[in-house]
Amino acid sequence: MASPSPKSPEQSEKNKQYDRQLRLWGDHGQAALENGHICLINATALGTEILKSIVLPGVGAVTIVDHNIVSDEDIGCNFFLECSSKGLNRGSETLRLLLELNPAVQGHAVYEPAEQILRDNPDFFKSFSVVIATSIPEKTIQDLAQHLWDINIPFVLCRSVGFLGSFRIQMKEHTIIETHPENEQIDLRLDVPFPVLAEYLDAFNIDAADLKDHGHIPWIVILYKAVQKWQKTNQNRWPMSRKEKNEIKDIIREFIKKDENGLPIEEENFEEALRAVNTALVPTFLPVKIQDLIYSSSAINLTKESSPFWIMCSALKGFVEAEGKGKLPLRGVLPDMTTSTEHYVKLQSIYRAQAVMEAEIVYRKVQEIVGQLHCDSISEADVKLFCRHAYDLHLIKGSNIVEEYRLGNAVTSYIGRYLEEPDVMMVHYILLRSAEKFQSEHCRAPGEWEPEGDIAKLKTCVTKLLSDISCTPFPKDDHIHEMCRYGGAEIHSVSAFLGGCIAHEAIKIITKQYKPVNNTFIYDGASTNTATFTF
Amino acid sequence: MIKLFSLKQQKKDEEGSARAGGSQKKASAAQLRITKDLNELNLPKTCNTEFPDPDDLLNFKLIICPDEGFYRGGRFVFSFKVGPNYPHEPPKVKCETAVYHPNIDLEGNVCLNILREDWKPVLTVNSIVYGLQYLFLEPNPEDPLNKEAADELQSNRRLFEQHVQRAMRGGYVGSNYFERCLK
Amino acid sequence: MADGEVQTLDYQQRRWHNIRKLLERSGPFCHPDFEPSAEILDFIMNSCKVLIVGAGGLGCELLKDLALMGFKKLHIVDMDTIELSNLNRQFLFRKNDIGLSKAKCAVEFVNKRVPGCEAVAHHCSIQDLDEGFYRQFHIVVCGLDSIVARRWLNGMLMSLLQYNDDRSLDQSSVIPLVDGGTEGFKGNARVILPGMSACIECTLDLYPPQKTFPLCTIANTPRLPEHCIEYVKVLQWAKENPWGSSTSLDGDDPQHVAWVYEKAQERATKYGITSVTYRLTQGVLKNIIPAVASTNAAIAATCATEVFKLATSCCTNMNNYMVLNMSEGVYTYTFAAEKRPDCIACSNTTRSMEIESNATLQAIYDKLCEDKGYLMKSPGITTIINGRNKTLYMSSIKSIEEKTRDNLKKKITELGLYNGADILVADVTTPNTLTIKLKFSNNLDDDMGR
Repeated sequence: MASPSPKSPEQSEKNKQYDRQLRLWGDHGQAALENGHICLINATALGTEILKSIVLPGVGAVTIVDHNIVSDEDIGCNFFLECSSKGLNRGSETLRLLLELNPAVQGHAVYEPAEQILRDNPDFFKSFSVVIATSIPEKTIQDLAQHLWDINIPFVLCRSVGFLGSFRIQMKEHTIIETHPENEQIDLRLDVPFPVLAEYLDAFNIDAADLKDHGHIPWIVILYKAVQKWQKTNQNRWPMSRKEKNEIKDIIREFIKKDENGLPIEEENFEEALRAVNTALVPTFLPVKIQDLIYSSSAINLTKESSPFWIMCSALKGFVEAEGKGKLPLRGVLPDMTTSTEHYVKLQSIYRAQAVMEAEIVYRKVQEIVGQLHCDSISEADVKLFCRHAYDLHLIKGSNIVEEYRLGNAVTSYIGRYLEEPDVMMVHYILLRSAEKFQSEHCRAPGEWEPEGDIAKLKTCVTKLLSDISCTPFPKDDHIHEMCRYGGAEIHSVSAFLGGCIAHEAIKIITKQYKPVNNTFIYDGASTNTATFTF
Repeated sequence: MIKLFSLKQQKKDEEGSARAGGSQKKASAAQLRITKDLNELNLPKTCNTEFPDPDDLLNFKLIICPDEGFYRGGRFVFSFKVGPNYPHEPPKVKCETAVYHPNIDLEGNVCLNILREDWKPVLTVNSIVYGLQYLFLEPNPEDPLNKEAADELQSNRRLFEQHVQRAMRGGYVGSNYFERCLK
Repeated sequence: MADGEVQTLDYQQRRWHNIRKLLERSGPFCHPDFEPSAEILDFIMNSCKVLIVGAGGLGCELLKDLALMGFKKLHIVDMDTIELSNLNRQFLFRKNDIGLSKAKCAVEFVNKRVPGCEAVAHHCSIQDLDEGFYRQFHIVVCGLDSIVARRWLNGMLMSLLQYNDDRSLDQSSVIPLVDGGTEGFKGNARVILPGMSACIECTLDLYPPQKTFPLCTIANTPRLPEHCIEYVKVLQWAKENPWGSSTSLDGDDPQHVAWVYEKAQERATKYGITSVTYRLTQGVLKNIIPAVASTNAAIAATCATEVFKLATSCCTNMNNYMVLNMSEGVYTYTFAAEKRPDCIACSNTTRSMEIESNATLQAIYDKLCEDKGYLMKSPGITTIINGRNKTLYMSSIKSIEEKTRDNLKKKITELGLYNGADILVADVTTPNTLTIKLKFSNNLDDDMGR
């Protein structure tokens, strides 16, 4: 038999190499990643583990800032060093071995200490998508955080000590269009059908359908008809309560065909309609979260510098107030359901066409705004994407790390509240902060030489920190002891865990997809526990 | 929690060292489960199984001879292939007898929910047997695999019955030839 | 050993200073039996054998993690070869390595990068290795994407369990299994102490079933692009056999994928369905699970930490199942999965039955029905001889009953059974098939192990 020779569509090398991740963030996410430039300060094991999982998926470029010389301990826990690296600059050695992972990634090594760059060439940091720092002293943390806050560059501060680790993300503002929620709310407009939909739904006659057609009526139609029937005896209200929804279910059951013995015939579409009563009868509404977004000052007081997100939010506001009559543009997505191909394709095209039409209205509004502001144009595809995800838009308003270190009232009462809980994850936060304080006072990690002697000293640091917080419950002494046992040791698997997580968050920040941690993550590898705090 | 390793523990035995009674191959979880399923198989009187190799419990045939309904008098053979991921995955079942049936196509594919989308590990071979038997008593025109047969069953029961009979006696229905499968 | 001196000194090298702090210092959260000492690192390096199953996304990470945690006696098994689509996460491989053995390539890289590491590669399937092989390990850590393989490995480790005469577990026969899995931005890691805590089979329902569509939808009422692709895969391929009836559909053959893509598009067009893409076609055909470096790194690291804890007792283990979700923030949840008392794998503690070596199968059958310990109704009896399943007697199935009836009269030794052989017995009176070890009461020459 002659082999068929189908025309194989061109699949580029790059598409093949990145196939498994493109299924998660799409070609546009990949493009954003390839435009990203990460700066890492200090190529510790944690630092290189982070870079590894950003270089592999193909970030545009990485810059390592590190003035340290490779030690034996570095080689022991850092995979991106060789024995021959000993005595050489840690940044350039790790960079060399990291870049082997992906030839498409550009890399640079800078030998000056971060403190010096901050002092002599602060503009250096302006070109990065994200700056990540590990093992930097208390003072530098604050100077760097303040500078990056001022120039509006995302900053991730990371720690790994013994079984403990943490990272803190500092961003002034982060907006996400594609949050990829696990359960997308369906948007069917059964309560407010647009004319084409109403016409389509009204054309159905459930009772007149023969058995075969009956089994193919989409559940959307069944639900709509049931509500209409119910409304006749209920002043055209929309069913809201559980009791009313049960009445809808009873009506649906009446619709089901019966066999010669009067028993209901199993019809999957009617089963689906019954199941959908609880989820699909939610009235169409403007979520409070989205209302807050489109009426926030960033959306109202646009400037030439406003980001496309806020310009689109402003256009969205215009739509909601005018054509949308208080509602967001239609999502235009139809869930799969038991029905014939004809019904499904028709219904799908009705929803899609309406969504396209509404997105076009928003696009025209965007164009108007862009014209008024004289700013860069926004593509129609971007606006469509925005409208498609209008229900799930997300804004993270960040806070400055310097505020957290200053322990103002809001921060201390927040910490105090968590310290009163039996869960010890906030205790770990205090310990990591105290160990940092210890390091800056004693020029070594607590327990670096020997554990017992440093317990009292570390306790003093904890007490100092807690007295600033003015809360009574102390982290138990055994946690202080455990921190001294660690002696500042960096354990590879702990850094590898955090490295994976931090790389992941950096990718979320660069691609502007999925919600990143807001804003502090604590990991305890001893108890396999994690927690997220928002400072 | 136990302390698995004391430092005193010597290196583990080197590779290949056999311990007493150790070299008999162990039965897989799928094997243990199918043995259980089959030992408890409770066949309706219209059904029978055939094991070409009684030592191979993973591959066998089910014969259904309906005693009522459209297919009365016919003899229909299904092949069962139980894979290593049983019962996480259902057995693969095919109809080896050509049959004019709304839910069975001419390649022997069977449209039965528990063979695909509704399979659960708690179900057994018995559940499938009953499901298949039911297909012959109550062919379901709403989930058609042989669309022609399904349409006919809905529009002209009489004609459908004639066609089923013709197919079982051996002959053409439309352009498709069916081997005789009457008992 | 000629370089014995170098090895004993190895653990004192400066590069291990970080780990030594955990192992040579005591802490308030250590395992109660933990005695800090320098010898623990020596044990990890020179005695403790760890098997890594899978050299893919998780396996590469595990090998690196464990090598840097001091483990030297590492073995890694994987039958696969390297493909281009692995390179976005399997960081021990380069473009030049495409087509080579994953296990060998990974081992070569890590042994070179981490001095002293003596990792050994096995380029074969896990089923190719026997009990003797698995028994040599202290811990098995597994990073697989296949449920069948996991279940097989789980079964293997269960079968290595030894029980004392009072039917209590001999703890020295326990080989802990640390298992990790990922799917996109989600993953899980768990610690299994075979015979003691929940095993893979106990929690089989935690694995989601593969997404399937009703056959009739695929055949007659396609609505989604996936329905069209499934149609070509399940029905059209077998009908048309484009490369002849002996060639089955291979999702890795670009020609095959292209054929399916083309046909699926034709079908979609016919029905007015949009968005059949090449990527989707490939995804449906190969059941591709999205994968990214970061999730694999986090899950593998969690597993490596648990292996380290198991080997050193420097900290108590996770109890016993952690789920990770990185799609919204980073979220973990750790819970104690429960051991099922009726688990087909880990509750199948082998019982033994005393029987005379010249007894017939009927005698075993009668014992099963009459002995107080069993009181079975109609036991079906099978065994495995020379690696092959053998049905000894089963009354419930007519055709088997007829073919095995004569066995009842035969002596058990004629049937190939021997002292120490396992028989598998299924009956309505027990929730699972039982494994029963035969003990010959008048046995002189020990046939065990044959």
